[in-house]
Amino acid sequence: MTASVNTAGQETEKPVSRVALAFARLKKIPAAYTAFWVVCLICLMAILSAIGVPLSPYSFDQATDDLLVAPSMKHLMGTDELGRDLFARVIYGSRLSIAIGFVTAGVAFLLGTTYGAISGYCGGKIDTMLMRGVDIAYSLPDLLVMILIGVLVGKGTFGILFALGLVSWMGTARLVRAQLLQLKEEEFVEAAKAAGQDGFTIVMKHLLPNAMGPIIVALTFTVPSAILSESTLSFIGLGLSAPECSWGTLASDGWRSLRAHPHLLGFPSLFIFLTVLSFNALGDGLRDVLDPRTRLFKG
Amino acid sequence: MLALILKRLLTAIPVLLVVATLTFFLMRMVPGGPFDADKNLPPAIVANLNAKYQLDKPLAQQYVIYLSRLAKGDLGISYKYVNRTVIDILSEAMPVSLQLGFTALLLAVIIGVPLGTLAAVKRGTWLDVTAMFLSTAGISVPGFVIGAFLIFIFGIWLKVLPVALWESPWHMILPAFTLAFSPAAYLARLTRASVLEILEKDWVRTARSKGLSHWSTVIKHTLRNALVPVVTVLGPLTAILITGSFVVEYLYAIPGMGRFFVTAVTNRDYDLIMGTTLIFAALLIVTNAIVDVAYQILDPRMKVEG
Repeated sequence: MTASVNTAGQETEKPVSRVALAFARLKKIPAAYTAFWVVCLICLMAILSAIGVPLSPYSFDQATDDLLVAPSMKHLMGTDELGRDLFARVIYGSRLSIAIGFVTAGVAFLLGTTYGAISGYCGGKIDTMLMRGVDIAYSLPDLLVMILIGVLVGKGTFGILFALGLVSWMGTARLVRAQLLQLKEEEFVEAAKAAGQDGFTIVMKHLLPNAMGPIIVALTFTVPSAILSESTLSFIGLGLSAPECSWGTLASDGWRSLRAHPHLLGFPSLFIFLTVLSFNALGDGLRDVLDPRTRLFKG
Repeated sequence: MLALILKRLLTAIPVLLVVATLTFFLMRMVPGGPFDADKNLPPAIVANLNAKYQLDKPLAQQYVIYLSRLAKGDLGISYKYVNRTVIDILSEAMPVSLQLGFTALLLAVIIGVPLGTLAAVKRGTWLDVTAMFLSTAGISVPGFVIGAFLIFIFGIWLKVLPVALWESPWHMILPAFTLAFSPAAYLARLTRASVLEILEKDWVRTARSKGLSHWSTVIKHTLRNALVPVVTVLGPLTAILITGSFVVEYLYAIPGMGRFFVTAVTNRDYDLIMGTTLIFAALLIVTNAIVDVAYQILDPRMKVEG
């Protein structure tokens, strides 16, 4: 990261932390900066809902006496066939959707970084062996693999998290490996070796911090793709289902009554779209900020 | 060239074997079998059914049986669609999916590539901003939302297009557009990045300074080179289309492979799951082989090894 600090040094006089620096640069990209705040708002909504803050008048049990009413001032997003206020349900569903996104990114980070670091740092035969399997699994469509794994673990939150986690770390592993293969040829690694540092220290202290930019960018894209996958799986009936409540299950329920009550599909879809769009826009911005070398889609 | 194609096809065999093995054991480790869901069959009948389909044998033996049948080109039979072999079902479903997939791919290229080129050439203008917003939005919308939206507008509200089944060319319009949406957005983003890079090359500047018109430079000198990375993503694009087909075929009740795969998983229809998975994997391998060959034709400097 020394290179980026140097270029930034020209912009500001006093030393600034890396995070503050990245944030300052992000501010200059309007789309990404807006997306950042939308992401913050949505996450705040999920967290507040999870700790029990009533964000809607019907948050307590979602129940009302109005069945299947269209959106109005009383029910901002209308109600479903059991009279549950959709706005309250969408807020409630945000917990699971957002949690799934972040947990998947967390798994991708831990598993992917470890695996990729071992493969990239060791190189040679170990690398070939470790990456061959990943290459095969990676060439299959994510959703296909998730469905197959999902069958094994079963439905429910754990099953879906397991399937998402198992699939999503492979991209990170490949990225970390590629970064490390490149970085370990740098002179500062040789210097560290000469100074007698062991492999673990070199990876943790010298290699991974330098690869952090691209890793963070990749993780920012993992969150929305996990949210998309969950909602798609739930929609086609291979993901979560009642009593679980996520934006995917809400959309899936809404699909059945699209003709008569389009709001039941429309509002959950809108939230999925807004969230995923914001994360993607934020990711695009972060890529420009943190990882100037990579272009949009490396092919 | 021929050697390359042959080599790629030969490496496909071990890959397919790995996929087959993993899928086989993944499925069989799940509790429950294909005859559980039916309304309480007497245990004797279930045992009989299991015996008929050799599901009562040890797992390792079933695996060997499956592989030896697979080697003869027999994909087995469906447990749910009575008296139909997997090959029978897939040979009906595959043309449907391929037709849908190709149409969607074509649409994606027709929409995505010009959109990306336009955005790159008009970089920084409102056109660029709009195109890029549209394409970021495009990769952020779940397929089922696009599908439901189109169904609602054209099927329910305007009542101009059929919203389900697969009977006439009219039935293809909505599913094809739904399926094309996110690949088009993906292609637009990629084309823009690629054109932007080529536009800065010296030889583009030379072409300009020779007095060639703006669009002639873009089309003759830039686009052709910029399309190389676009061709290479045909592999990921096929993957996107396969994934998309699960949703689109479900939404529009199209009897294609995506839908059979999803129902087969729900039904634990072992051989049908295996069959569809293997076909999907083979499809991807073939696409990637085509990409490698196309890559060499488009850019002879690239020598593909391995």
